Amino acid sequence: MTHVVLESCIRCKYTDCVDVCPVDCFREGPNMLVIDPDECIDCAVCIPECPVNAILPEEDVPNDQLPFIKLNAELSRNWPSITKRKAPPADADAWKDRRDKLDQLVR
Amino acid sequence: MQVDDNSAIAETACSHDGPIETDAVIVGAGPVGLFQVFELGLLEIKAHVIDSLAYPGGQCIELYPDKPIYDIPAVPVCTGKELTDNLLKQIEPFGATFHFGQEVTVVDKRDDGRFHVETSKGTRFLAKTVFVAGGVGSFQPRMLRIDGIEAFLDSQLFYRVRNPAQFAGKNLVIIGGGDSALDWTLNFVQDGPHRAESVILVHRRDVFRAAPASVAKMRELCEAHEMQFTVGQATGFERDDAGRLSKLKITGSDGVTRIVPLDMLLVFFGLSPKLGPIADWGLGIDRKQLVVDTEKFETDVPGIFAVGDINTYPGKKKLILSGFHEAALAAFGAAPYVFPEKRILLQYTTTSPKLHKVLGVETPVFD
Repeated sequence: MTHVVLESCIRCKYTDCVDVCPVDCFREGPNMLVIDPDECIDCAVCIPECPVNAILPEEDVPNDQLPFIKLNAELSRNWPSITKRKAPPADADAWKDRRDKLDQLVR
Repeated sequence: MQVDDNSAIAETACSHDGPIETDAVIVGAGPVGLFQVFELGLLEIKAHVIDSLAYPGGQCIELYPDKPIYDIPAVPVCTGKELTDNLLKQIEPFGATFHFGQEVTVVDKRDDGRFHVETSKGTRFLAKTVFVAGGVGSFQPRMLRIDGIEAFLDSQLFYRVRNPAQFAGKNLVIIGGGDSALDWTLNFVQDGPHRAESVILVHRRDVFRAAPASVAKMRELCEAHEMQFTVGQATGFERDDAGRLSKLKITGSDGVTRIVPLDMLLVFFGLSPKLGPIADWGLGIDRKQLVVDTEKFETDVPGIFAVGDINTYPGKKKLILSGFHEAALAAFGAAPYVFPEKRILLQYTTTSPKLHKVLGVETPVFD
């Protein structure tokens, strides 16, 4: 099992989750974070940290978000590790309530 | 419920007589570590418990003290705090010694089969068995993220208060919105031996996680001009000619950055767990968790057991109740190391006069 970063993170990338991860399993892309499923220990500490509720355990991922399980696994292979919180994109707040952001994802 | 921190006594004993000799050392005072004391106690195995926090409860106290837990068998609902308090009451008969505010730094197996365990405070143990109940690691303060500010750590920047006297008479900025931030704010504003010259509390919102009574008191003190509260975030700092931290830049919710002079900066962003050194003890590891068998929950080093969130095995679920089960079997698994000659029988607390004796309760008379 693992935890998964979902669509809500795209263009928001608040990075609050990164600070609390006990095993540093977050990976950073240009406008989204993902979780490396081989590193995540399912401690669930990151879930309440996310201001846009973008993180869920694999089992709880809703149907329309299922592709993100595979996407986290794929993208985490090439994206660098992020272990410290940083400022979100300037327009993060404008994107935080938007749905359907998958077309905005920069790989 | 209060737990005596016996570490002062233990440290004295340590300095006179070398390491503390014990049957068992438990690393971690979360719910599973506490219940491990109980299960060992029933088998008359004495334990010392070490935790990096200054108090027992682990994640239950640090992450969700007030949130309800619904999946403890026979307890329909309780909070993390209640669970911890009840466990402490349950283990009272066994007189475990607690060593708080220290992390285990060394675990070595000696030639006689015992383990040499040492903590960051220099407390040393010689233990026949070790139980790692480390959860997801030791709790560390969350840092303030301003480039360069870490240079002032422990001189002008503090994430915890060890010695309140060093803040007396100083101009303080306190950042945070939880109980630690509010409690220390009130402590330093109000009359007393540690009263500060001035206190400014900074929190990113005008909503607090702290106890409502503390928040009300803080607002009262603001109205009486005894202190100030500002909504905003620290975004930068300035040094004086001597290179000391002299001013803090605070950006308000209005986007305006104000400059606040200060002597000392106290930051209370809460704590988060970091797995840290447990991964380096040379034990078998899978995805940063300790691999155990499911008969005794023993690691690949005989005599070292791992229980609760820190361990992994096929089908593992990170539930408190799984940790309780693991603690029971680990205790039985450890008994042969502690009492090599003794045959260990399973006895029931309902009927066993021997267990009634170790629990310090009367044996009931059955009609």
